Amino acid sequence: MTAFLEIKDLTKTFTLKGFFGKKTDVHALNGISLSVEKGESLGIVGESGCGKSTLANLMVRLEEPTSGDILLDGISIAHKKEKELRKLRSRIQIVFQDPYSSLSPRMTVEQILTEPMQVMGQYTSRERTERASELLELVGMRSSSLRKYPHEFSGGQRQRISIARALTTEPDILILDEPTSALDVSVQAQVLNLLTDIREKMKLTYLFISHNLAVVKYISDRTAVMYKGRIVEIGPSLSILTSPMHPYTKELLAAVPIVGKPFCPPRETAHETGGTDAERGCIYYDRCPIKDEKCRRERPVLEERQEDHEVSCWKL
Amino acid sequence: MMSLIKIWKILRHNTLTLLGAGLVILIVLMGLLSPLISPYDPNLMNIPARLQAPGWSHPFGTDEMGRDILTRVMYGARISITVGVSIVVIAAAVGCFFGSLSGYAGGKVDRGIMAVTDMVLSFPSMVLALALTAALGPGLFNTMLAVCIVRIPLYVRLMRGQVLALKEMQYVKASRTFGAGPVWVVARHIVPNCLTPLLVQMTLGVGDAILIASSMSFIGLGAQPPMPEWGAMISTARTYAIDQWWYAAFPGLFILMTVMGFNLLGDGIRDILDPRSVKN
Repeated sequence: MTAFLEIKDLTKTFTLKGFFGKKTDVHALNGISLSVEKGESLGIVGESGCGKSTLANLMVRLEEPTSGDILLDGISIAHKKEKELRKLRSRIQIVFQDPYSSLSPRMTVEQILTEPMQVMGQYTSRERTERASELLELVGMRSSSLRKYPHEFSGGQRQRISIARALTTEPDILILDEPTSALDVSVQAQVLNLLTDIREKMKLTYLFISHNLAVVKYISDRTAVMYKGRIVEIGPSLSILTSPMHPYTKELLAAVPIVGKPFCPPRETAHETGGTDAERGCIYYDRCPIKDEKCRRERPVLEERQEDHEVSCWKL
Repeated sequence: MMSLIKIWKILRHNTLTLLGAGLVILIVLMGLLSPLISPYDPNLMNIPARLQAPGWSHPFGTDEMGRDILTRVMYGARISITVGVSIVVIAAAVGCFFGSLSGYAGGKVDRGIMAVTDMVLSFPSMVLALALTAALGPGLFNTMLAVCIVRIPLYVRLMRGQVLALKEMQYVKASRTFGAGPVWVVARHIVPNCLTPLLVQMTLGVGDAILIASSMSFIGLGAQPPMPEWGAMISTARTYAIDQWWYAAFPGLFILMTVMGFNLLGDGIRDILDPRSVKN
């Protein structure tokens, strides 16, 4: 059986040109493989620069992967030409992080919400407006907002508008690229509740990208932890949060302050040793508190350690 | 669409912009209505009444052929406004096209377009316009063409910068995720969002273009003498500058008023076009 959404060995390499044409390769994504069931919500966590947003950009084809493939219902979307991609684009939509730059300041809410349908040539103009106002109500806003401009709304309301826009094309998959991290904590909760409701109502599949583990726990069934463009641990969210296995996941969890406990941030353990074999060794070698000789020489692969819970580490 | 009432609300407290707008409207109306309101025929010669000082029958005096200077200044407004506006509109259209192309396509296309742009910009615009007109041959049309070519790079630069900045905005990216092509993105997102700097540049550019075109006529490369063009009028007035001050002064005054009007308006136009400047 083919999975609903399958990411196969996805790699994205950026080439930076330095002085005198010297080229440096940066591996933003390094052989990511994932499969997601229909209706599932997968959280992706990791620190900044680990490749989460590159993954999001590849999913909606804002960028082309260097190699690997993305399959939706068994159909490849990673290397299709723009023309063939048209229909598939409506099925995967994205909500961006910054509610201030994600809405054009020169368009009314109505124009913003009808634009996707217009581009895709869906519906007549009157149906589009009707649909825009329905969606606005779905995300908890008054349909009288249609005639307003984005600057008349708060960050949370703008993010609701962004969500409504992503829903206009009736997608199956919603990529949420840190949709709440630019918002106040109280507003965050409202938007998260909204996202949970919508997912149930519209039977959506979520790819929820965040650096905030608490948020991911709330919204996703499974969680993948990324480090330097690779997945180091993946499994049910509960299991990852209560019994993390990879030392990096443990470090991430230790960095979350908990109410009622004194907060001691994790020590900087990095950069003490040279001699990492970057080509072959474990990617977490430099920062790992429990490394040994084998970690330096050989790279661990993802292995199932508990039910559905995969980890790439030798020291378990 | 922005209603006139809203524009008035913004402008009410901005004296300089109002002055600029007033001057521009005055000059445009004067040009448009010149056949109806001018007291004489611009080319009607009346040798006995030559070089008369300003008075009741000729408020701005007469020139060496006895033509009424007020009438000629009014007709001159037609020419100057047409010249200025058409130069700017054509330069901006061409410039925006190449600027967007340059910013959007990047790579070799970008480098090629920018190399030509930098080359043109490295000449003082007056000198290059002079050289081009000299090569094309004197005349109003050739002058316009030359000034237009000289002004294009400004818009290429402006538009390229805007495209590069706006291309990274998330609303542009969002638009691409539902399949919008480059033409849609430029037309629906980039142009509307850089309309403000573009219109400011264009308004200021009208003044500049009028100034350069008049200077060319003054040198003798642009509009040729019988034509009531302000620069050309000042050029013939040179001989009489000491004894008949009014001959050069009035066309000069109108060049000053027009250029100043467009410059003041250009400074204020940003406020009018910003949707955030209207608070209910």
